Amino acid sequence: MTTSAPTRNLNVSSYIAEAIRLEMEADDAIVVLGEDVGRQGGVFGSTRGLQKRFGDRRVLDTPISEMAFTGMGVGLAMSGYRPMIEIMFVDFIGVCLEQVYNAIAKNRYMSGGNVAMPVVIKTAGGCIGSAAQHSQCLWGTFAHLPGMHVVAPSSPYDAKGLMAAALQSDDPVVYIEHKALLLSKSADFAHGAEVPKERYTVPIGEAATVRDGGDVTIATLSANVRDALRAAEELSTEGIDVEVIDLRSVVPLDTATVAASVARTRRLLVVDEDYLSFGLSGELITRVLETLGPSGIEVVRRLGVADVPIPAARSLEEAVVPGATAIAEAVRAMAS
Amino acid sequence: MSNQLHEHLATMLRIRAFEEACLEGVASGEIHGELHTAIGQEAIGAGMAGVLRDDDALVSTHRNHAHALAKGVPLVPMLAEIFERATGLCGGYGGHMHLFDRDRLFSTTGIVGATLPVALGHAYAMVLDGSDAVAVGVTGDGGVNTGGFHESLNLAGALALPLVVLVENNDLAISVVSSEVSAAGSVERAPAYAARGQRVDGTDPVAVEAAFRAAVDHARAGGGPSIVEATCHRFRGHYEGDPDLYRSAEEKDALTAHDPIARARRLLLADGATEAELDELATRARTELEQALAEVRAAPAPDPAGAHDHVTLLPTGGPR
Ligand SMILES: Cc1ncc(C[n+]2csc(CCOP(=O)(O)OP(=O)(O)O)c2C)c(N)n1
Repeated sequence: MTTSAPTRNLNVSSYIAEAIRLEMEADDAIVVLGEDVGRQGGVFGSTRGLQKRFGDRRVLDTPISEMAFTGMGVGLAMSGYRPMIEIMFVDFIGVCLEQVYNAIAKNRYMSGGNVAMPVVIKTAGGCIGSAAQHSQCLWGTFAHLPGMHVVAPSSPYDAKGLMAAALQSDDPVVYIEHKALLLSKSADFAHGAEVPKERYTVPIGEAATVRDGGDVTIATLSANVRDALRAAEELSTEGIDVEVIDLRSVVPLDTATVAASVARTRRLLVVDEDYLSFGLSGELITRVLETLGPSGIEVVRRLGVADVPIPAARSLEEAVVPGATAIAEAVRAMAS
Repeated sequence: MSNQLHEHLATMLRIRAFEEACLEGVASGEIHGELHTAIGQEAIGAGMAGVLRDDDALVSTHRNHAHALAKGVPLVPMLAEIFERATGLCGGYGGHMHLFDRDRLFSTTGIVGATLPVALGHAYAMVLDGSDAVAVGVTGDGGVNTGGFHESLNLAGALALPLVVLVENNDLAISVVSSEVSAAGSVERAPAYAARGQRVDGTDPVAVEAAFRAAVDHARAGGGPSIVEATCHRFRGHYEGDPDLYRSAEEKDALTAHDPIARARRLLLADGATEAELDELATRARTELEQALAEVRAAPAPDPAGAHDHVTLLPTGGPR
């Protein structure tokens, strides 16, 4: 897909593992806790090699005790460490959300700024055909709860850079990696395929315009960026010029970049693989409207998982989860 | 022995005076939220006092004032926090259930059972540090039936972490009688977690200190986790304002027989102490709290302009 082959053609998981390794080399305070993060290197390989490199104390294989090891993150942070807590699939957050939203997210505030919570919650989200309990994104859920940054990278470059930024952050960061991207290689990506070997960060809270266009603005994130770019290619052959913005962070949300684009295109489509209602799409549209005023936008649409659990069968799943076809259709309707 | 009890009595009187000062704040409306006091349970805090070092961690519950004082958290800022003042330990952002003293590794949570995972994290940090510090997680008898209790003790036992779980067993979780809804006592569960278990009379500060110290020493020496269960009685309602209709009047009247302060007085008098000398201890505690209260009351409420501070370092939305 990329015009020239990327210098390195590793999968996204490997770049994430590389980011963690480089940050752990630079900062002894970083520790990794979670199921299968050590001996196996993560069920998707995104902690591969870390236990060998840093030992089984800094990279701890935990029992299936999310409540305990997520809470350990709180105690470790208060003891001066920078824990990375792996929740294998974001769907499992229900068993330990308590420590996440009541302690990790609130301790800085409740302590009047005396206690920092430099904790990374690293977790896999998104659809890969695993149905209702293993396919959710849930970034809107975390974003709704004050006190956490929430990021969801779409490319190899951002996957590494946002992980580094998350591990350097003095505030909690929920890092949601998309299962469908983790095993994709650089060559599979039309954007952000080149990944330097060195340390670098992608700033939290900054969106990226991954495709310039003048007719319609698509704001999206994570795996839907790839879908939006595919749709945009198709639409360009029909004479529709689409701008694609990768939000990258849900919290903080870079409204300014989206609003500046919409000020030109006057058409905004938000594509969100998370649940539709009470979530990112409604929030972003409201903020853009607040910024530009109602006269600043002509057409607004959103695509999301419209308030049903994710079904199992492919035909049902495709009916529910927004992909390139649905995006192209929506844009056509908006542009006409 | 009597010297030690004398000291414990002074600590218990200080804890009670602190709690009574808080009661004043509830009555006056200066504390406008829920308040849980440890009145009747002071011997546990007194027994813990002086055992822990600054670099030991203590994670406490909704009923936390005695533990904070035992950890050496400065009294005036703590009272100011509970009284919702700008000069409070957490600037008025936390309140009575959310006290944080970073320098003494003291923190609390209002979520039952949530103390132990956090204490476990401190314990793991101590192992990573290679230090001989220990972590203490407090829970009530209600909290021992949470999943966090099991998960934390299992991990502490498996990794032999320096964790002391202190169970304050007043046998009530609000109105639910814990012994009626528990398949086993907390101490009886200790062997399942490769932990030491010890039950102690939580109205006897000397006994509490001995048991607590033994558990702390065991953890410091690398022996792994302990469960120390201190049996006690909650004199007041679960929170101030709780009508406490789940206990009969007779039952409540009988509670005074278990007053750890009266008990210590009795023993000290029998051991030759004078009434005047013990009254003097009580006066000293009350005077300290009167002065603290005056200082707290002179302090301003937090500036409402700061209500959105401290969420995260980067602005994340909401009014700015
Ligand atoms: C997870 C959770 N469930 C329920 C509550 C409400 N609640 C607060 S204290 C309490 C009883 C706790 O009993 P126990 O652990 O014995 O402590 P005690 O109040 O006796 O000190 C309950 C149910 C809570 N704070 N957290």
